[in-house]
Amino acid sequence: MNEIILGNPALLSTVVVPVAVAIASWLMRDKVSPEIHATINAGALGYSLLVFLILAYKYGLGSVIRDPEVWTVPTLGNFAFIMDAVAFPVLISIAAVTAFTAVYSVPYMRHRIEEMHEKGEKPPSWGSYFFLYTLFAAAMIGTLLSTNTIEFYLFLELTLIPSFLLIAFYGYGDRVRIAILYLLWTHVGAVLFLLGALAVGFKAGFDFFNPFTGKMLLGLADAALSGALLKTALILMVVGLLVKMAVFGVHIWLPYAHAEAPTPISALLSPNLIGIGGAMLIRIVYTLFPSTFASAAPYLIGWALLTMIYGGFMALVQTDFKRLLAYSSVSQMGYLLLGLSTITAYGMSGAILHYLVHAFGKAILFLTAGTLIATLHGLRAIPKMGGLATKMPFTAALGLLGFMFITGIPPTPGLWSEYLIVRGAVQYGMDHGAAAFVTIGVFLMIGIGLSTAYAFLTMKRAFYGPLPKHLEDAHEASPGLLVPMAVLAAIGVVAFFVVYTMLDPMLAYFHTVYGI
Amino acid sequence: MEGPASYVAAWLAPYVGAALVLLLHPVKGRVKGLAGVLSIFTAAIYSTLIALKTLTHGEILEHSFTWVPSLNVTIGYYADTLSTIMALVVSWLSFLIAVYSLEYMGGDPGQTRYWFFFSFFVGSMQLLVLSDNLIAMFIGWEGTGLASYALIGHWFTDEEERCVGDPGRKALGISMCFPPSHAGLRALVFTRLGDVGLLIGTAAIHYLLGTTSFHAMVAHPEVWAGGLYTRGILAAFLAFFILGAMAKSAQFPFHEWLVTAMTGPTSVSALIHAATMVKAGVYFLLRFTPIFVVASHVVRDTMGIAAYNTFIHFFGWVALIGGFTAFMMATMAIVARELKLVLAFSTASQLGYMFLGIAAGGMMGEGPLAVFAGLSHLVSHAVFKAALFLIAGAVIHAVHSRFMDDMGGLAKYMKWSAISMLLAGLSLSGIPPFAGFWSKDTILDVAHEAGATIPWLLGVITALLTAAYTFRMIIMVFYYKPSHRVQEHAEHLHEAHPLMLLPYLTLALLSLIIGLAWPWIQDRLETLIPGATLAMHGEALHISMSLSLTSISVALALTGLGIAVYLYQAKLMRPYDYVVKSPSLTWLHKFLYDRWYLNSIYYWIFVKGGRALADVTYKYVNNALVDSFYHRFMPWFFMSSARGLYATAEKAIDVGFHVKLVNGTLSVSRRVRRLQTGVLNHYVLTMWLGLVVLLLIVIWYVGWII
Repeated sequence: MNEIILGNPALLSTVVVPVAVAIASWLMRDKVSPEIHATINAGALGYSLLVFLILAYKYGLGSVIRDPEVWTVPTLGNFAFIMDAVAFPVLISIAAVTAFTAVYSVPYMRHRIEEMHEKGEKPPSWGSYFFLYTLFAAAMIGTLLSTNTIEFYLFLELTLIPSFLLIAFYGYGDRVRIAILYLLWTHVGAVLFLLGALAVGFKAGFDFFNPFTGKMLLGLADAALSGALLKTALILMVVGLLVKMAVFGVHIWLPYAHAEAPTPISALLSPNLIGIGGAMLIRIVYTLFPSTFASAAPYLIGWALLTMIYGGFMALVQTDFKRLLAYSSVSQMGYLLLGLSTITAYGMSGAILHYLVHAFGKAILFLTAGTLIATLHGLRAIPKMGGLATKMPFTAALGLLGFMFITGIPPTPGLWSEYLIVRGAVQYGMDHGAAAFVTIGVFLMIGIGLSTAYAFLTMKRAFYGPLPKHLEDAHEASPGLLVPMAVLAAIGVVAFFVVYTMLDPMLAYFHTVYGI
Repeated sequence: MEGPASYVAAWLAPYVGAALVLLLHPVKGRVKGLAGVLSIFTAAIYSTLIALKTLTHGEILEHSFTWVPSLNVTIGYYADTLSTIMALVVSWLSFLIAVYSLEYMGGDPGQTRYWFFFSFFVGSMQLLVLSDNLIAMFIGWEGTGLASYALIGHWFTDEEERCVGDPGRKALGISMCFPPSHAGLRALVFTRLGDVGLLIGTAAIHYLLGTTSFHAMVAHPEVWAGGLYTRGILAAFLAFFILGAMAKSAQFPFHEWLVTAMTGPTSVSALIHAATMVKAGVYFLLRFTPIFVVASHVVRDTMGIAAYNTFIHFFGWVALIGGFTAFMMATMAIVARELKLVLAFSTASQLGYMFLGIAAGGMMGEGPLAVFAGLSHLVSHAVFKAALFLIAGAVIHAVHSRFMDDMGGLAKYMKWSAISMLLAGLSLSGIPPFAGFWSKDTILDVAHEAGATIPWLLGVITALLTAAYTFRMIIMVFYYKPSHRVQEHAEHLHEAHPLMLLPYLTLALLSLIIGLAWPWIQDRLETLIPGATLAMHGEALHISMSLSLTSISVALALTGLGIAVYLYQAKLMRPYDYVVKSPSLTWLHKFLYDRWYLNSIYYWIFVKGGRALADVTYKYVNNALVDSFYHRFMPWFFMSSARGLYATAEKAIDVGFHVKLVNGTLSVSRRVRRLQTGVLNHYVLTMWLGLVVLLLIVIWYVGWII
């Protein structure tokens, strides 16, 4: 895999520009209208999106694209910024979802802030909201551009603070307590990861990519560590990221945080932030520990299937729309983990592609829930819904599309990611005997069947059936809410048709770089 | 042979039509309907153009574009005899039914939705049949599923007259009345369960072959079939692979969704749930049976008889499932009260016949025979069943009731509809010389010849039941004494609008014409199927029907027909009045009427059971165990440890420091106080910065010593 060194720090600018705009927003506070805040912040994130697309178009995804600067820090190694076939789908997902959700934020947060004023609360200014929002988004972008575990860790922690504050300032329910709970949990996850990274780093350095040779440092930790330390380091890093992903057993923070965050933030947290855990399992952990990771695969596959099914089951019994989506995210993280744990090019590509699918799909779904909240006076209890498709046909259509994304129905790219994950799992099963093949097959049927069931059951409960009396004066949501969702859906559908632009280089990447 | 690229319009045109319908959303009137009809007409024309090249010259026409190179996914069209005939049937039937819909759905407020999903369905179905690889086929497959879901639930506000089943009726405590939104959900969940199996099979093929192209499967059976067999998973693979087809074609145990799918508009039932989509599973079997036959011969030569037998046993099971489904669904049809339900049961039953015929051909190792038997019945059934459904739509429209008890004597008002139903009904009953007779008898013949005794026997009994329920239905609708409702509304009853009548009259006549022309058609197919179809060797078929077997089934059909006519028409009886007098007959009636209680059993196990399991898990595992552990026990543990520590060690230190060093600390504390701003973000920022600094110190220090 050759490396293309850019003439200017375009990749770094995708972090710096949003951060600069975020600070500008903060300084302006309420001196400008929320629309202006949204425009400049969405513009900055849109700029990042364009940079990723232009770079990919100009140089192709067959090589690693790197910024010219490399900061060499003693002991810590090299901090550089790169984009390649694996990072690209994640990066465009983050940039696109955050940019359009920023636009969506204006009508939604206006409703939320009014609601808080009515309760006598004094939420911080619009400037603060957008400052934290864009800082959060930019930090997420930074995590994927990183080439060094410490660099990644810093960005990861940087995502934590603004998202914590956004929940604490604007969230629902017992929001301060939930914000602290969220902070603690994800911080614990990050620290576990860090401990593992330190163990590797002191032996072999903190880089997982060598910016000077343009190579991923494949098997670095496998070679440098041995025995119990090797295992412990791997377990710490994996578990740290699995806490982020909220897989079964360490999932319990997610339904609180994602259900009670202000909805635009849920749309960022749920698909984007937690998925980074999955992407980084490939990018850092699998790179550093290819053979040790492979030996852990059977456990991870079991854990993944359990998470898929457990999350689906829990989603089935939720009555709160956002909590249901939160459990759905747990289940979806099971898909991601399953794909990457198969240690096949197809499964890993499927996991990365599913990041994109889930980013768009779940964002659309959270925004759908938000649209109902903002339009129907805070309505989020599914049993109180029903028949809304008559009054809100566009919202219903977008909700349906969102569920189609996560259940893999064309024309959404979910079809591809679902196939690729199944493809990887089947390959793993076929290589491990008849019992493994049949078991994985049966669990896949249960898992995907459950996803279909809760997804379309929710459609039915919320949007179909007779319209209850208390919703008779419901009306379609404002374009300010619907248009950003529609644009996200449209981009996602385009991705279905042009999936090869991402998938071909990604499969080639896994074949050549990792030899799988 | 390479065909023109433009022929992709055979599936692309309806998709374009669907997009147009969306764009035309704000336009009122029939414009959207016309856009849909025209796009489907285009598809039909292109399918005909393809057929003119393939069926007349005995050639295979194909053209493909690479879509996803790394997965070897191509998209285009592959038109051999099988897919050409499928595309012809699908597109022209869709066209006729679309024309019917223009009138039938004319006043419906959900025009955009209806025509979008209708056109989307046609595009997907055409893509499904014209694809030459599993993934492209799967995309069409899922597209049809989505359209089916949306159209079943078209009247999603769930008014009672849109439901299927008797309001208030319960079987084993489970409601037997299904509103549209519920029926849509059922259809999607049932079929997608099978689709996962299909996906697993596809993935296995892709892993072994590096592609999912049908050509590669034909060319290298030793690679995939051999590879599966040596891994010991050939049987498991076949079982997964067929699940998609079974679910789509409503075979036992997946048949339940099709019954309740009748909540959709009748035009949709005619097109999707009778003539085309539910045939996708049959098409799948038609496509893969010859490939499996080729593979079974190859593995017999290379791996021995056991590998070969895996395939034969597989076909044996499929034949049994087909025969059983045919029988089971026919028994339900005989007691149904709703017109559309009779037809739905009948559809699943006839699909069972098709499964039986194809699988029997497979058991004999005869790909061409399997395809001939299955395809013939697929086509003849598509024609007569579409006609029957369209007539049912017109009748239900006229009397405003879905129950046959509310009909009777309608022939007086709807003469042409009655004639059409009689023609199509004779075909369904398998009375010569109608199309249905030829195709059904071929299936029973093949089943007998293959030695599938039990499935054959079930098929033969079904022949009697089929004629009986068909004529029970025809008489109850058109000839029996007029019901109260008919008498009351007599002045409003009239023949259907020509836009509705013409499509089904055409189809009904077609089922007679096909039947009359059958010897010639069969002759053509005997050379075309082996000569110009995937995975065939070219040797012409010679099908001769056994006269004795044919007379048995015709005699049985006539008996069934006779019983129905005798009871309902000659005697004007309501057998139900006698059934209720006998407890055992009442039980039997209930058993059949409540669909063998299978629906209730599924609900108890999967819906209620799953729900209970989820509830219990949520309450006791998720909340009581996991949540409490982390969010109750852990905080309590830390807090009480801290309190203990505070009460002991901390106090000592406190006293030590604050008594002794109080003066010294005073000046420091004054400075520190300035940092305590009381703003949450300052604290957090400080915490974060502190952490980073701490981290850097640790790294720096530890890094030095290592």
